[in-house]
Amino acid sequence: MSTLSSREPLFWAVQRQRNRGVIGLFVVVIAFLALYAYLFPGLFTLGGFSKFTQNWFPLALVAMAQTLLMMMGGISLAIGPLVSLGAVIAATVMGTAFGVTGAIVAVLLAGLVVGGITGAIVSYLRLPAIIVTLAGSFIIGGIALIILPRPGGVIPAGFSDFLAGHTPAAFGLLVVIVILWKLYLATPLGLGIYAAGDNPIGAFRSGVAVNRVRIATYALSGLLTTLAGLFVAAQTGSGDPVIGTPFTLNSIAAAVLGGVSFLGGRGTMRGALAGSLLLSVMINVMFFLGFPPVAQYIAQGLIIVGAVAIPQFTGRWRRS
Amino acid sequence: MAGSTAFLAAKGLSKGFFGNPVLKDVSISLVPGRVHALLGENGAGKSTLINLLSGSLAPDGGEILMDGQPLSRLNPAGARNAGIAVVQQELSLAPDLSIAENIGLGAYPRRLGFVDYPELARRTAEVRDLVGLDEPLATPVGTLALGRRQMVEIAKALFRKPRVLILDEPTSSLSAHEAGILSALVLRLKQEGVAVLYISHRLNEVMALCDYVTVLKDGVCTADQPLAGVDAEGLVRLMVGRDAGDLFPKWEPNAAGDLLVDVQGFSSGMARDVSFTARRGEVVGIGGLVGQGQEDFVLGLYGALAAQAASATICGQKAPFSSVGAATRAGLAYVPADRKHEGLILPHSIASNLILPSLGRLNRAGMRDRSAERNLVSDLARRLTIKGDTARPVQALSGGNQQKVALAKWLPLAPSVLLLNDPTRGVDIDTKREIYLMLRSFAAEGKTVVLISSDTPELVHLCDRVTVFREGRAVATIARGHITEEAIVGAAMGVEVREQAA
Repeated sequence: MSTLSSREPLFWAVQRQRNRGVIGLFVVVIAFLALYAYLFPGLFTLGGFSKFTQNWFPLALVAMAQTLLMMMGGISLAIGPLVSLGAVIAATVMGTAFGVTGAIVAVLLAGLVVGGITGAIVSYLRLPAIIVTLAGSFIIGGIALIILPRPGGVIPAGFSDFLAGHTPAAFGLLVVIVILWKLYLATPLGLGIYAAGDNPIGAFRSGVAVNRVRIATYALSGLLTTLAGLFVAAQTGSGDPVIGTPFTLNSIAAAVLGGVSFLGGRGTMRGALAGSLLLSVMINVMFFLGFPPVAQYIAQGLIIVGAVAIPQFTGRWRRS
Repeated sequence: MAGSTAFLAAKGLSKGFFGNPVLKDVSISLVPGRVHALLGENGAGKSTLINLLSGSLAPDGGEILMDGQPLSRLNPAGARNAGIAVVQQELSLAPDLSIAENIGLGAYPRRLGFVDYPELARRTAEVRDLVGLDEPLATPVGTLALGRRQMVEIAKALFRKPRVLILDEPTSSLSAHEAGILSALVLRLKQEGVAVLYISHRLNEVMALCDYVTVLKDGVCTADQPLAGVDAEGLVRLMVGRDAGDLFPKWEPNAAGDLLVDVQGFSSGMARDVSFTARRGEVVGIGGLVGQGQEDFVLGLYGALAAQAASATICGQKAPFSSVGAATRAGLAYVPADRKHEGLILPHSIASNLILPSLGRLNRAGMRDRSAERNLVSDLARRLTIKGDTARPVQALSGGNQQKVALAKWLPLAPSVLLLNDPTRGVDIDTKREIYLMLRSFAAEGKTVVLISSDTPELVHLCDRVTVFREGRAVATIARGHITEEAIVGAAMGVEVREQAA
């Protein structure tokens, strides 16, 4: 059998192996999508598809941001405030002489810097990520409120229309991000994320620059998060210093639905994307079925617990 | 002689932890094309020596030379770049990465900043064939059995084309077939001029593969010589034997009482098909290399691990017990090896640790009886000579005194069988002596002690009988009068050692 598979290039064989664990999830996502398409046939029009992917896009980004950290054995409780920070920076800078381009640069830079600092604190001071990012969530939230105490700022209509209008630009952007992610994972630094999450001591002994991997990962995670903030600002047409709050827990929920382990190592970006898509579609489907909002929350919680419990139980049955 | 041609040499290395010397003035030379065995009992300092040679630890004294040049500050990356590869017992693999990605980890071939997968596939296929792995390179390591992972670990070391290869008990998790592949590989590396340092407890392997041997005992080098002309028995003798001094109490065997522990064909965890008895008035030792199923066996007796038995009676009751509660009610008590995590609640006071097992009985109408608790604590502190304020947290005590608390807390329950797991590890000499006295006097009261120990002299000087475990089985039971360090270590390693007249 080794001669058979050796004809397949190693890279693709590895990719195929990583798909195995998430096939069940893909099936569930497709089932929900089919249900949604049945309830809302407009999904297949350009406008319907655009709106749907726009609702999904920021959640997909923060799910990816959270997954990056969780794969490495970390976590962030500062995702929500960082989304808000991205949004207020976008809305503040776009009105100045720096314009849209300056604002995009400022938002992305803010994400890299905040993430990098968080990563440096976690790796060099060896503080637990959950505490550092909890503290970070207050600090970042505070900074967002200082920059823009109440919703406002300026988002040019053209920018909003481009990202959140009747075009599938968000979806296109997502495809680009996924391709960039695949490229990153094919670098030594990217593979280091798995090694540092699975077995940090072993990775260190093997010559992986574990601290550098951690800092780079936190910085990338921050970048994805503020990018989500930029998009939310475009979507709402203004900057709101608390708009990101729900994203913290939703990002964890989406990652967990996508099969990402809290213990590090286990998890894939395709899983995180599927998890965020599932969460997004679930909310839409429940809305169309006429669930009251409160029941939606409860149903969402039950589905997440179930999604995590089922693989645990099937794993136990298989072993015994 | 060999020193001038050695790839890697250490001169007069010493290293201590927290004031305890672990290695004292050890020298070793690894020469190209020679397979060098490093032998010693658990705790003799082998791991410390490997960690020094591979840059994971810095020596307190002495120097390490590569090609005759002193290496001032050696770290793991520096050692790797110098061509030193170590296969350690704890694996350095990432279960979620593929075989190829693991083998190349930290040394990936690159093209334009990306991992060069075609090149990685080609180079890992070479070393994979060397170690006889036939799984596809894309297989995630997490899906492999332990022995196969060990082979991946070895392939990973070979991937870097080392000049010095250090193998730390490489065969402990390998099947006979895999061990055979490894032997052939070691001989081949020797032909190619690699210097190999081979650590193993399997003496027949050492005899077959190695040319030269260094033996460590209590951190001191006791032999450094060619292996030719030495037999397995001679190696065992080099590893054991030290002055016991008057560390151990003088004791007379007690009159044999009735059987308190009588298990036949007992299996739990790693322990397989063990037959074991212990009578009133006896201290029965359990020896062997660390991790051969001793702990699992005792945990099985204690009801903490699921067990099956052909027949089992403990304290007159039918065993195996289904829970720790049932075992405790029958009169068993267990003092775990890891006192910091399992035996004690470190931040709590001495007093509250001491009363914890007795809380159930020391109450009045469901409320805690403070005065009875105080009496109990002062009584125990006096009996165990725990000095000072019992309101201090346990973590403020020395290791020895912590161990006394971990032991003393069970005494009020008046257990008839005391199960102990390595109670003197990391304990100072004075406290050791106190613990030994306590165990013998406990037995003299007509109770039973079952003592797992990694300290062979302790088994020799304290026990009425010693059962030795190897690979989960009780391979020998040594009766009083025949208990010697040679007999225990020999049985632990599967070597027959004849009794020798002193």
